[in-house]
Amino acid sequence: MVEFLTIAAEQEKFSLVSIDPSTIVFTLINTLIIVALYFFFLHKPVCKILDERAKTVNAEMDEAEEAKKQAAATKAEYEARLSDSKAEAERIVADATKRARAREEEIISAANNEATALKERAEESIKKEKQRAVTEIRKDISDMVIMAASKVAQKEIDKSTNEDIINSVLDGIEKEN
Amino acid sequence: MTELLKPMAEFNVEGPLKSIVWNLGDFEIVISETIIVQWIVMVILGVVFFILGRNLKVRTTSKRQMAAEWIVCFFRNMVRDTMGVKYNKYTAYIGGLFCFSVLSSLMGLFGLRSPTSDLSVIAAWGLATFVLTQRNKFKTGGVKGFFKGFIEPVPFMLPFNIIGEFANPLSQTLRHFANILAGSVIGGLVYFALGQVANGLASIGIPAILSLYFDLFSAFVQAYIFCTLTMAYVSMADCSE
Repeated sequence: MVEFLTIAAEQEKFSLVSIDPSTIVFTLINTLIIVALYFFFLHKPVCKILDERAKTVNAEMDEAEEAKKQAAATKAEYEARLSDSKAEAERIVADATKRARAREEEIISAANNEATALKERAEESIKKEKQRAVTEIRKDISDMVIMAASKVAQKEIDKSTNEDIINSVLDGIEKEN
Repeated sequence: MTELLKPMAEFNVEGPLKSIVWNLGDFEIVISETIIVQWIVMVILGVVFFILGRNLKVRTTSKRQMAAEWIVCFFRNMVRDTMGVKYNKYTAYIGGLFCFSVLSSLMGLFGLRSPTSDLSVIAAWGLATFVLTQRNKFKTGGVKGFFKGFIEPVPFMLPFNIIGEFANPLSQTLRHFANILAGSVIGGLVYFALGQVANGLASIGIPAILSLYFDLFSAFVQAYIFCTLTMAYVSMADCSE
């Protein structure tokens, strides 16, 4: 089939502006091969990576948005809780203050009562003591008077009759005092 | 006087070398210099694409991956902006074509013959654009839309529309080819001229600046223009609107 093969020996050249069908065919084949090389080695893998990256970026953005929402929700929750606990604390303090005040009043009134009771009792006992003293003194005086009178009279004076007289005298003295 | 008018040396620009030739009777299969340089470009691009697209991670700081992503996003956005989301599947074709064209033009920097300075190469790409355009017309408009497109806006325009269908890829082809070829011709001329002056001083700055423009800048710009035009032609062929 191949009659003869020339390898650059004759230095035969095309003219400067010439169209050669076999060069056209070979060029078309070579161009197709280069397009295929470009497509399979560079275009396809890079496009795949770009798509994947776009997907990743979208997913990450979604995630970030979700996280942001969650953070806001958590923040709101904590703020609500914080204000709740503040109110609670205030309530506790107010409660405690109120109770303390009540207790204070209770203690003071109890002390007052006790003091009043003590004072009353003291006055009572002073009165009683005075009474007792008066009675005793009166008895002593009447005894002494009877004794003295009897000494003076040198005779036994009827105690019961005389006692009445003396008592009336003593009452009169007391009234004068 | 005639002595002075005689050229001191000749500067020739020739086409690509026919490196391997099979003769099949009347028909000849030629593997030219262009195709061999294209194979080199293919190997380089294959290795670069493979290295760039390997071991990609969703979360990364690797410069390699950033470069890969930048390249892919560049072509994706370019196709999306020019053609619309509907034509996303053209991204691989445009990306591959752009890289192929740029690296082919840059091969001139390494002393190889740029495949893009061979008309056959650009013609092949122009042919691809033509086929894609017609295919898109057929796909979006059906048989009716395909033929209706030729008599719009008025039937009188029929011959011009037919010419336009062929003129678009042709002009696009010639633009890319001629720019790169002119660049290499001018570069070659400058080197040749400086070689004739031959005291080496001037040969330091000028070729570098020229090479920067014709090899680097032109390589990117022409590839970009060719891809943009391809996208524009294909998306303009959409009859569905």
